[in-house]
Amino acid sequence: MTDPADLPLDDEDQAILDRLAAVEALLDPPPADLDERVSFAIALDSLDAEVARHTEQLTVGSGARSSERIHTITFDADSRAVMITIVDRPDSLVRVDGWIAPAAPLRVELRLPEPAPPRTVIADAAGRFAFDDVPHGIAQLLLHPPEGDASPRVVTPAFTL
Amino acid sequence: MAAVTLGSGEAGTGQARADRAARVGACLQRARSGETAALSEVVRELNPLLWHVARAEGLTAEDSADVIQTTWLELLRRLHEIRSPLALTSWLVTATRREAWRARERSRRQAPDGAEQLEAIFDPGPGPGEQLLFDERDQVLWRHFQRLPERCRVLLRIVAYVARPDYAAVAEALGMPTGSIGPTRGRCLAKLRAMLLADPGWSGR
Repeated sequence: MTDPADLPLDDEDQAILDRLAAVEALLDPPPADLDERVSFAIALDSLDAEVARHTEQLTVGSGARSSERIHTITFDADSRAVMITIVDRPDSLVRVDGWIAPAAPLRVELRLPEPAPPRTVIADAAGRFAFDDVPHGIAQLLLHPPEGDASPRVVTPAFTL
Repeated sequence: MAAVTLGSGEAGTGQARADRAARVGACLQRARSGETAALSEVVRELNPLLWHVARAEGLTAEDSADVIQTTWLELLRRLHEIRSPLALTSWLVTATRREAWRARERSRRQAPDGAEQLEAIFDPGPGPGEQLLFDERDQVLWRHFQRLPERCRVLLRIVAYVARPDYAAVAEALGMPTGSIGPTRGRCLAKLRAMLLADPGWSGR
């Protein structure tokens, strides 16, 4: 007698697997914005950027005014790390303060979903940079080395402001 | 009659396979030439699979979402090496597992006490499960599925999200023995199927 495990898959097998996928999607759905987030993050002009991993996230309330929260996110790439602090402002915009290590006066780009244009600043010699008046939503950072510098571009995953 | 149904089903699968290969191939080609937005369609199609790969590695929902994003970003640098839709699926599955492993190592290192942290992140678990399922056949399926060995649950949960022609490649990328699911039914699915067919709640009276 043939072991049923050795038989080819048939329509009943497919029906079981399809149903299982549907049940799993009900019980453990991916975040609703996952596809949108990924599509935003990979819509880049060039394909050769080094990818920084999201390594740490901290949220702290700021004392008396607990409505004003501060998030700190750290990203690590092989060549550089970047840490950002996101401060909620009372007018429902945010301020982003960042720090690049090892320090370098890189061009820092904050990508926002279309139609908002990307923001660009140059980090100072200590690797510090800031973006103010930024709307809530998803965003992504790119670090561009200056002309003539051979270090790679760095890109972070999309994160929420 | 059964043979006829099976035959036409096979032919349909063959056509669907060719169509899908052509579609994904075209997306890859456009992405390689710099139009990465062309990948959006493939992202929508493969994210449910990658989600379960990351979850099966024991990551939290938040970490799983991060790992999937990082995997797609890494893909951009490897696009020139990936020539076929099948190669794309297995590259993504392998890369998601590798990223998940890195993420797990990181949280273990950051944890004040490794053991506690492991406890906290491991196993999305069966959870309330059945209470969320209102369809009786879904409840029956879930009940029998829970009785399978863990190894089987991990395999089937992931394979359920894969387009049929990709089963063998994905099982291999997951480090499962070839033949555990592929052109053949495999032991895990055979076991689940036998339990379901013996249950009137699934097969009808």
